[in-house]
Amino acid sequence: MNSGSAVRWLSALALLLVSGAALAHTIEGSDASFVQAIDGPAVFPFMYLGAKHMVTGYDHLLFLVGVIFFLYRPTHVVQYVTLFAIGHSITLLLGVLANLQVNAYLIDAIIGLSIVYKAFENMDGFKQLVGFELNTRVAVFVFGLFHGLGLATKLQEFNLSNNGLVTNIISFNIGVEIGQVLALSTVFIALSVWRTSTSYLRHAFITNAALMCGGFLLAGFQLGAYFAQPPY
Amino acid sequence: MSQSEKSTTPPSSRNIIIASAVAFVVALLVLFTTILPAEFGVDPLGTGELLGLTALSRESPLEEQLEGHRQDYAEFELGPFQSVEYKYLMDFDAPMVFSWSADADLYYDMHAEPAGLGEEYAESFEQGNAASKSGSYHAPFAGIHGWFWENRGSRTVLLRIYAAGFIQTSTVFRDGGDYERAIDPVLE
Repeated sequence: MNSGSAVRWLSALALLLVSGAALAHTIEGSDASFVQAIDGPAVFPFMYLGAKHMVTGYDHLLFLVGVIFFLYRPTHVVQYVTLFAIGHSITLLLGVLANLQVNAYLIDAIIGLSIVYKAFENMDGFKQLVGFELNTRVAVFVFGLFHGLGLATKLQEFNLSNNGLVTNIISFNIGVEIGQVLALSTVFIALSVWRTSTSYLRHAFITNAALMCGGFLLAGFQLGAYFAQPPY
Repeated sequence: MSQSEKSTTPPSSRNIIIASAVAFVVALLVLFTTILPAEFGVDPLGTGELLGLTALSRESPLEEQLEGHRQDYAEFELGPFQSVEYKYLMDFDAPMVFSWSADADLYYDMHAEPAGLGEEYAESFEQGNAASKSGSYHAPFAGIHGWFWENRGSRTVLLRIYAAGFIQTSTVFRDGGDYERAIDPVLE
């Protein structure tokens, strides 16, 4: 099996997982009871939770796949990802500290649509159909703000203790960046391997269409959850 | 972004529109045929019922049990540096609610031992010093579940325990020996 078809199989599998499982991406189970019970600073547990949230959060991951899809130079990857990280750090910190209450499902629906936006741009949709292109750096930064607000709402679902709150959010945030670097390296290596094959550009269009489909699916799932909420 | 590095000609507007529309329609189809029925019990096309997916969304807060629950009250007098262990036999996933209270602080350790495996497999859930505690508990495995208390003060302390749930019998471990107490279900 050459690397091109291997990656194709992997992306098909990833897409199946996204459409099949479509789990709500929250902090659950023993992690949730830990977060709720904690009183005081807990640097490493919160770092771990942040990293886990990023590595297992395919909404964030699909967006980043879209962002680095046509970035060939590691320096560009670093630039874009830094913008994204600054964006989500601002709203994660401010969101929790200022106790901003935003509906998590609607934020997650916007995160789904951010994937649709990036895929559409990768398909040259803005250039060919709309006639102008948004500044992608600005767009990545702005969507970073939304992703951070999503993270903040997840953390706020628990009554976090004020004792050690700042330490814990910063630890969570550092964990998110670590998780992002881990996940991105994997994605970047996989894409780089695929790029050595001619199938990359041939299948770039269809891959981004699949990415867009995944974005619509995530947005639809979150909107479904929003409307299925009990009315109290 | 690095559009210059893309060597192929840009896709036609027609293809972009078709691909986006297909992406949207496929997502909509998957959403309405499987995700909405399976996750939220919303089944506008009847496909959830057809594929048996709606059953996944029927999450009930009710957990039925085969027999009636039991309630228990026990009290122990603990002299200085005396200790007692009190545990309930419970099946996997059996629920219990409890409150215990003493007239002075006691060292406590809430823990459980899996059936037939003995002390070395004991799992501890909480330790500390307190004069009272209450909570709800779901047995993580079949076995005996309860507390160890020790009076580390200099005067005698009276300890009272109330519990109700799908507990079966209780065992007291004290002064190097142990004995079992039968608990009758509230309904036979």
